[in-house]
Amino acid sequence: MKAARVSKGKILLVDDDPAVQRGLSALLLAANYDVEIFGSGDDFLAKRDNSLTAGAAMLVDVYMPGVQGLELLERLKKEGAGFPVVVMTAHGDVPMAVRAMRSGAVDFLEKPFTASEMTAALDRAFSSLQPVEEVASHASIKLQRDYAALTPREREVLREIVCGDTNKEIARKLDVSPRTVEVHRHNIMSKMEAKNFAELVRMAVVLEIRC
Amino acid sequence: MDLGRSAADSIIEAVATPVVILNRDGEIVCFNRACEIMTGYSREEAIGRSVWEFLIPEGEIPAVREVFDRTRDAGGSTQFTNSWKSKSGELRVIEWSNRALEDSAGRAAYILAAGVDVTAVRSNERALSESRALLSSIINASPTAIVTIDVAGSILGFSRQAEETFGYSQAEVIGKPVKILMPPAEQLRHEGNMRRYIESNEAREFRITRPVTGLRANGQEFPAILHVTEFRDDQRVFVGFVEDITEQRATERRLADTQFELRHASRVGAMGEMATSIAHELNQPLTAAASFIEAVSLSLRKKDNPPRLEDAVVLLDEAVSEIRRASKIIRQMREFVRKRRSAKAVHKVNKVVEEACAIAVIGADEYGVDVETRFGADVGTASIDRIQIQQVVINLIRNAIDAMQESEEKHLTISTAMKDGMIEIRVADTGVGIPTAIKSRLFEPFATSKSDGMGVGLSISKSIVDAHQGEIFATENNEKGSIFVVRLPAGGEGEGGASQ
Repeated sequence: MKAARVSKGKILLVDDDPAVQRGLSALLLAANYDVEIFGSGDDFLAKRDNSLTAGAAMLVDVYMPGVQGLELLERLKKEGAGFPVVVMTAHGDVPMAVRAMRSGAVDFLEKPFTASEMTAALDRAFSSLQPVEEVASHASIKLQRDYAALTPREREVLREIVCGDTNKEIARKLDVSPRTVEVHRHNIMSKMEAKNFAELVRMAVVLEIRC
Repeated sequence: MDLGRSAADSIIEAVATPVVILNRDGEIVCFNRACEIMTGYSREEAIGRSVWEFLIPEGEIPAVREVFDRTRDAGGSTQFTNSWKSKSGELRVIEWSNRALEDSAGRAAYILAAGVDVTAVRSNERALSESRALLSSIINASPTAIVTIDVAGSILGFSRQAEETFGYSQAEVIGKPVKILMPPAEQLRHEGNMRRYIESNEAREFRITRPVTGLRANGQEFPAILHVTEFRDDQRVFVGFVEDITEQRATERRLADTQFELRHASRVGAMGEMATSIAHELNQPLTAAASFIEAVSLSLRKKDNPPRLEDAVVLLDEAVSEIRRASKIIRQMREFVRKRRSAKAVHKVNKVVEEACAIAVIGADEYGVDVETRFGADVGTASIDRIQIQQVVINLIRNAIDAMQESEEKHLTISTAMKDGMIEIRVADTGVGIPTAIKSRLFEPFATSKSDGMGVGLSISKSIVDAHQGEIFATENNEKGSIFVVRLPAGGEGEGGASQ
């Protein structure tokens, strides 16, 4: 690659799969990010220093041998890592995503993801400028107001969504049709002004909505 | 007369049986040697005393007095059995023969009573009747039906439980042939067995236990366990203990059903678990491949800074090898399903499908789905792996239920039929139908229209059906919904065999 390229930031990529490391670093480079690769949480913890992490964001798989992504996240949060973290989860594993967000992740990506999904998440990570330990510390007044505007039923549905239930499961629990759940979900997203599901989960974490 | 008198005295004295002579009031005037031995009282102690006062037990006085008075007043002779109390307080039971002795005026002056001590006989009789009563109460209290028969097969005894079990009263069956208690097939076996028992005429104790089929009065047959033992008295008697195991069988069947459902539920669960772990296994190569390709795509768009072709080729090669890795995982999964220890056996297809339906439609009414089943009467057996075929059917039914979530009309029809010598299992729904986008690759892995689906169910189903030399395909259901059809070769060796 030529020197004319302007870096959008440094990404600390933590994934145990060599092919994923190579693929994602190729993609990150093509999307104008710099990449540092770590094969595991232990690997990162062994190599970390301030020059490595300053101004960086972390992209980490939550399923790894050794120090798992979630565990790494908890450690970084406790130590005050000072950089944002985006976690990679399996498709549909909402409970894991919620746990990651509670542990301080700025966002989550469901594998496999597209380049635009990835850049959107990383852009959010950099622009949030929220170091890992401050995430979920307080809910903004706007967020509280938006949440208060939800009907009791919508709040109920939101809680079930954050618990990782599918529309079908929520429908059964609340004894309504899946279509009705879909409508509630849409209304919740628009009332909360959430652009996507990940953002809704993030808001729920900030609002400390628990299962 | 004097001679006669003294001769009579001597006879009375000499006989071994008790003889006593009483006056009109019951005072003893003669008390022979046998009386002395029996009662322990000497003649001197007895003579002149009233029998009522010391020999007759108080409770028996009224009855004895009545006989005494009758004998004295009416004359002639009477017989009566009553007890005497000995000096040591022991009771002796005596059968008395009484006779009035008239005086010269023709008036009964004395009563002569000669007795036989039957104490021992009576106590034996009582013991016998007591043990008979005990035996009969044991027989009647026995929770097992007891039927006794003679050598000819006629019923001699029929316990209360036998009445309960067979639905006949004892009076109805006594003397009848025992064959009325068994269906025709059992009668033949019974006759053979009886002949063998009788021919083996040795006096040996035997005990036989075997499963039989009983026949109730209402014509109903029931499974039972029969224990037979022989009892020899003056004739040969066979005692049969019949244990009705209908209840036991029903319990066993319920248990087996439950186990079957549990096993199935866990298999279905295992399939879901497998899908989850496969999902993670597949996510890695798919993520890598997508990243390589998008990296090339992004680079190619950079007009000011185009990538070197060699770099792009390396990335695309990497992408291809990751896609190969993904497909290898899928292939392994399919191999796993195919090579799984195939437990093919001859099963009744209707039964297999019915069992699968029972599991698959659990909760169907919660979704407002009404389920109809139609099993073709001409559908027989096939050589199949029951669990695998049931997985296929369950998968099709669950898909059908999912497809009808948004439908006004939710009607699920599961049917079997013979078609061109093949057995057809059809699962028809009134759901959304198959999206055109995935119609052509419906049975390929990861073709799915479900937001939370993996797209492995139908591809696994196809692997299973292929391994059975069958076919699986989908058609439209009258413009609303779809029909999935599984065709399996009919028969298999041992056609008509039991499904188990």
